[in-house]
Amino acid sequence: MKKGEITITITISLMCLILTTVIFVQFKTINQTDITTLENMREDELRTEISNFKQKAVEIEEQLKTTNLKIKEYQETINTDKKASELLAEELEQQNNILGKNDVSGSGIILTLTDTRAQKITSEDLRQLLNQLRADGAEAISINGQRIVYDSYVVDLGGTFISVNGERLVSPYEVKVIGNPTYLESGLSKKQYGYIDTKLEQGKDVVLERKDKILINAYKGNLNMEYAKEAE
Amino acid sequence: MIIFAIIIGCALGALIGMNVPTISYTYSGYLAIAIVAALDSVFGGITSVLKGNFDFKVFITGFFGNAILSILLTWLGVKLNVDIYLAAIVVFVGRMFTNLAIIRRYYIDKWSKKVEKEEIKNENETKTMG
Repeated sequence: MKKGEITITITISLMCLILTTVIFVQFKTINQTDITTLENMREDELRTEISNFKQKAVEIEEQLKTTNLKIKEYQETINTDKKASELLAEELEQQNNILGKNDVSGSGIILTLTDTRAQKITSEDLRQLLNQLRADGAEAISINGQRIVYDSYVVDLGGTFISVNGERLVSPYEVKVIGNPTYLESGLSKKQYGYIDTKLEQGKDVVLERKDKILINAYKGNLNMEYAKEAE
Repeated sequence: MIIFAIIIGCALGALIGMNVPTISYTYSGYLAIAIVAALDSVFGGITSVLKGNFDFKVFITGFFGNAILSILLTWLGVKLNVDIYLAAIVVFVGRMFTNLAIIRRYYIDKWSKKVEKEEIKNENETKTMG
């Protein structure tokens, strides 16, 4: 074999070596790299990716806007509901005050009716008084702590006791009244034919006292109706 | 002899290539262009051998020069924001196809001539037999 041929052979084998090495390195690289990762993407791929993300961001922003609007609406309805429920609660409270289910306080008068040696206080006296007080604008009344409500009754019990709401009461009868004190007082203390004058003339002891703050306790019984139902 | 050299070189190259650490993905594009250029040179070399005008110096310089030049051009293309590697690939692959076509035709011609010869031979034999 000539010297030239040997050189050619060696050179060609070297070239083959380099070429195959490079080709295999390339194969390996391409096999091992994950094209989907950001670092390996080409510039145009990255660009499209970025524009995709931008579009997505715009869409999501719109979604956010609509969702925020919805939240606002819901908030408003919640607020109105709250207002309505507050109003209802207030109304309920007022109704309870009127019915006598709550302790109430305010300005008014206290009347004390006491038995004397000559005369006893009768249930009729108390009923008259209650009527007169209501006529003069009393808002809450109690007799010896018994709240007078819409179905309260005042009756004699065998001449010894007076029953109010089923409770036995004895003299002295302390009648607490909340209302305009001036109206109440003037209604009771008319000259000659007024309640107080009449009773004093009969020989019964009636004392009237004006107070700025009177506390009247709630009705302790039940306010139920068994037979009466709302008519349709 | 040369065939042995090629086989040994290829086997060794495959072995080395399997065990060499991988390169960064960014540079694999350059390497791919170099590979295409080198392959083009190889096929060009084979064609010239068949044609009988093979020059070893031209082959060697083409092999390495084309590879390096294509890498440089690709790099330049990246810098200029023009996809020059596309042009390189079109040229090299186009030439590879031309060379492959030439090689194919050469061997087809050779084979068909051989077949013709045998036919003539057979005819002569039958004549002598008759």
